Amino acid sequence: MEVIFKIIAIGLVTCLATMIIRPVRSDFAVIIAIVGGLIILFMVVNYLSSVFDTLQNIIGLTGLNSGLYTLLLKIIGVGYLVEFTAGICSDTGNSSLGDKVLLGGKIIILVMALPIITNILQIIMELMPS
Amino acid sequence: MDVDIIFKIAAIGILTAIIGQILKQTGKDEIATIATLAGLIIVLIMVLNLVGDLFTTLRTIFNF
Repeated sequence: MEVIFKIIAIGLVTCLATMIIRPVRSDFAVIIAIVGGLIILFMVVNYLSSVFDTLQNIIGLTGLNSGLYTLLLKIIGVGYLVEFTAGICSDTGNSSLGDKVLLGGKIIILVMALPIITNILQIIMELMPS
Repeated sequence: MDVDIIFKIAAIGILTAIIGQILKQTGKDEIATIATLAGLIIVLIMVLNLVGDLFTTLRTIFNF
């Protein structure tokens, strides 16, 4: 878990670099901030995959349908990506564009989750005495 | 994944700013604009590679 020190160091270095470069070239400061965020994300992504492997093992033990698990994984992925992109958008000053990206992500997640909802409704309809 | 790229981008930024200033002082405004633009494009290509890597990694992890 000593990666957290690396992440802290990269955050501080990125902050300092953006602070230094902003008066010289303000457009590069935004790019440096984006790259710092990307590097931090890259360091954490490997841990995320190990967490998902463990989760997959647990799901396999419960005997649930694995399609549900992959769908859940996709929804989490969409959430992370949308969050990251919206952060970049609001960093560059287009916070309304970031809001639209968030809205798009929410709608996509809703569309992805619709089959689960219809499944649950069908099960409830079957259980109900007619 | 290294921190080098942050310093690289900062160095390119400072370098292009200096080159642009020098070219502007000598009266070559068009070349200064082109140099600035070239620096920006180089940095953008580096960033695009990073973003592409991130997207492919996430795609493999999240089974897209």
